[in-house]
Amino acid sequence: MQTQDAITPGYAMRPKLNYLNNGTTLKSWLLTKDHKRIAIMYLITVSLFFMMGGLYAATIRLELLTPASDLLETGTYNKVFTQHGILMIFFFLIPSIPAVLGNFLIPIMIGAKDLALPRINLLSLYIYWLAGGMALWALMQGGVDTGWTFYTPYSTTFSNSYVMAVGLAIFINGFSSILTGLNFIVTIHTMRAPGMTWFRLPLFVWAHYAVSLVMVLGTPVIAITTLLLAIERISHVGIFDPSIGGDPILFQHLFWFYSHPAVYIMILPGMGVISELISSFSRKKIFGYEFVAFSSIAIAVFGFLVWGHHLFVSGQSMYAGMVFSFLTMVVAVPSAIKMFNWAATLYKGSISFDTPMLYGIGFMGLFLIGGLTGLFLGAIGLTVHLTDTYFVVAHFHYVMVGGQVIAYLGGIHYWWPKMTGKMYSEFWGKISAMLVFVGFNLTFFPQFLLGYQGMPRRYAAYPEEFQVLNIFSTAGASVLGIGLVMPVIYLGHSLIFGKDAGDNPWLLPGLEWRTTSPPPTENFAVMPVVTWEAYEYGEESGLDVEAAKRRLAVEAAT
Amino acid sequence: MSTHETSDKFVYHEPGLQHQFEDMGQQEESVSIGMWAFLAQEIMFFGGLFTAYLVFRSKYPMAFAAGSNHLNAFWGGLNTLVLIVSSLTMALTVYYAQKGNRNMQVILIMLTMFFGSVFLGVKAIEYTDKYNHGIVPVTGLNKVVKADTKSEHAEVKEKPCYEVSHGEEEEEYVNPRGEFQWKDCSLVKLAQDHNYLTSAEKIGYFSNGEIDADKFRDKVRIFFFLYFVMTGLHALHMIVGLGLMTWLLWTAWKKYYSADYYMPVEMSGLYWHFVDIVWIFLFPLLYLLGRHFMH
Repeated sequence: MQTQDAITPGYAMRPKLNYLNNGTTLKSWLLTKDHKRIAIMYLITVSLFFMMGGLYAATIRLELLTPASDLLETGTYNKVFTQHGILMIFFFLIPSIPAVLGNFLIPIMIGAKDLALPRINLLSLYIYWLAGGMALWALMQGGVDTGWTFYTPYSTTFSNSYVMAVGLAIFINGFSSILTGLNFIVTIHTMRAPGMTWFRLPLFVWAHYAVSLVMVLGTPVIAITTLLLAIERISHVGIFDPSIGGDPILFQHLFWFYSHPAVYIMILPGMGVISELISSFSRKKIFGYEFVAFSSIAIAVFGFLVWGHHLFVSGQSMYAGMVFSFLTMVVAVPSAIKMFNWAATLYKGSISFDTPMLYGIGFMGLFLIGGLTGLFLGAIGLTVHLTDTYFVVAHFHYVMVGGQVIAYLGGIHYWWPKMTGKMYSEFWGKISAMLVFVGFNLTFFPQFLLGYQGMPRRYAAYPEEFQVLNIFSTAGASVLGIGLVMPVIYLGHSLIFGKDAGDNPWLLPGLEWRTTSPPPTENFAVMPVVTWEAYEYGEESGLDVEAAKRRLAVEAAT
Repeated sequence: MSTHETSDKFVYHEPGLQHQFEDMGQQEESVSIGMWAFLAQEIMFFGGLFTAYLVFRSKYPMAFAAGSNHLNAFWGGLNTLVLIVSSLTMALTVYYAQKGNRNMQVILIMLTMFFGSVFLGVKAIEYTDKYNHGIVPVTGLNKVVKADTKSEHAEVKEKPCYEVSHGEEEEEYVNPRGEFQWKDCSLVKLAQDHNYLTSAEKIGYFSNGEIDADKFRDKVRIFFFLYFVMTGLHALHMIVGLGLMTWLLWTAWKKYYSADYYMPVEMSGLYWHFVDIVWIFLFPLLYLLGRHFMH
């Protein structure tokens, strides 16, 4: 293969139309089968849900500024944290990276024209909209106060809020994520370009393959569980209600059988993004490619076997508890493998601290803390003390926000020039990345201390001794909030005023950087044939990086 | 390798080839993997219900046996037979689609649809029977019959629940609010006499050492709840299958399929067989287990 110019590898045959201007009517968007347009529509919806969930979070932090329950009544507070959880988990975190970045990038990364099942892809977007609309409707009507976990028998028998409507919204939303996962599995199996073998796939794709397995095999279980919950709520049969022979622990088993793997749905795609970021911005082949790839699969598999660690104090058998505790330790191993491999990739790399890399490095620090405190909670003795305290809250926010949200933001910045063809302001990008990092730590680190001291979660009021740390936390939340609002502004600004990014602003070898920015509807002017391994930064990649660098240096000098 | 600049139009290279694929082989492989992944998803969906069944049957075997005995194994067996035959006709449909024989396809699809409808018809008869006997587990969904003033003496001759049995002439059906009705707890007595109760049952069926008909009724109600949810979801899948068959019938009639292109027939076949297999598990679990306690 002849060496291509690294700056504009797709330029030679640039089509007149790209996916953004190929049809401008509303119909051309709403009935599109193009994965990139569907991803953009997901991006907008997901961001709206993130904003809403964020407003609920802000309300929670404001309420907790003072020890008394003065801003919100306790009942309202229950609804606020429940809705924060439901919106963030089911409508933001789960679709965030897979449905936005995965949808946009997987076909391009493997050299395909589209996902294997484009109509199913559009259907999953519509299902997501339907479910989201239903959830919002239920929230307008009065909301739900069971906690995002819907524990029975409170949710089936006692709660007077809109459990049915929200439960059914989650039931419907599940099918959106099942269809997305199914589509990815099929696409990765059958749509790879000639020469794109399994072990030449970017690790982002491997992570999405693993996450798709979890989506397809886990989500139906939560679907049937919420269905049973809904029927039980109408008919009071007693599947989950202990007063008439039911079993509330069964609900917890069924619920966590999905919802624990679901936390891997919420972190694995993030890990995939980080693998890309770390390798790209150290300009070094990822260390131990196969290990990182298979650790994703291992996380998906072991993730299905650890749900019982949510039931340590629920009356589960002690022996089951011990087995689940052990398996929880086991599932930490593949995550640790990833961390070590990323660190080894950084070693002697030529690291550049562009905005995406700041998020990448931030992820490594935050996920380290989040992962290690997960081990604390998996240890069956210590967890009795920590269950239902702010320690748990801090732990999963370190993984979910410090992990997935940071990775999502990193990914959005990294691929923004590809998605839009425009470059954002690097200065504001860096400022915002650092504000997010500082604000996040200031918000959630005090909560580890609070939890360890025994402050329980899900209460609107707390003893005065805890106030200082809570003030820190609320102050941090405002910094975090500012950090999260900034990208909306400067990314939006870049759409209109941003410089043209060029096809390959970071001189990278991946397939997504070898097409034009923004890509044409068919992704590539000429369908690619892959002759290089993943993460080749030298001349093996077929791109003339050295000449491109010299040209950029000359341009910068003049 | 082709260059498409405007992609929202289909470019048909071969009949049935979608724009995103390079060739027919790739499309067939994709469709096939997609269908199997979908069926894996379906297994997990029903798996949740089977788990619930497992948990409650191992807790309350006598209540489940009592409920199971009320179901009519004849109708269940007939339905099993009907479904197995429909699987045969479906498999033959795929065979003739591969051969490109349109007339046999149409006939066999209609036969499959006929058997599918017979299955649903039998299910309707069974559901009606439950409705008439007041054993739909949801209050208000049973036949409502107000108490007759003349038959007030019926309440006077009330017997302990374990002496009510199937052989006797049936008591008059009175159910003013359409509630779940269950009076017979003879199995509990039987199991108690043979020291055969599980520890959950010893708590679950008794109050103060006496058999409590109401508490037993609640456990039987769980059985019927699972019965209705499981068979109901299965029937829903059958209805979706019949919809698929209608579409297949139309496309087969229009000579859409040939020896080169028959994927939709094969995929609908996979779905149909899957729904059958679910029933193959439902039938023994719901109709047969526990019959030996009484027969």
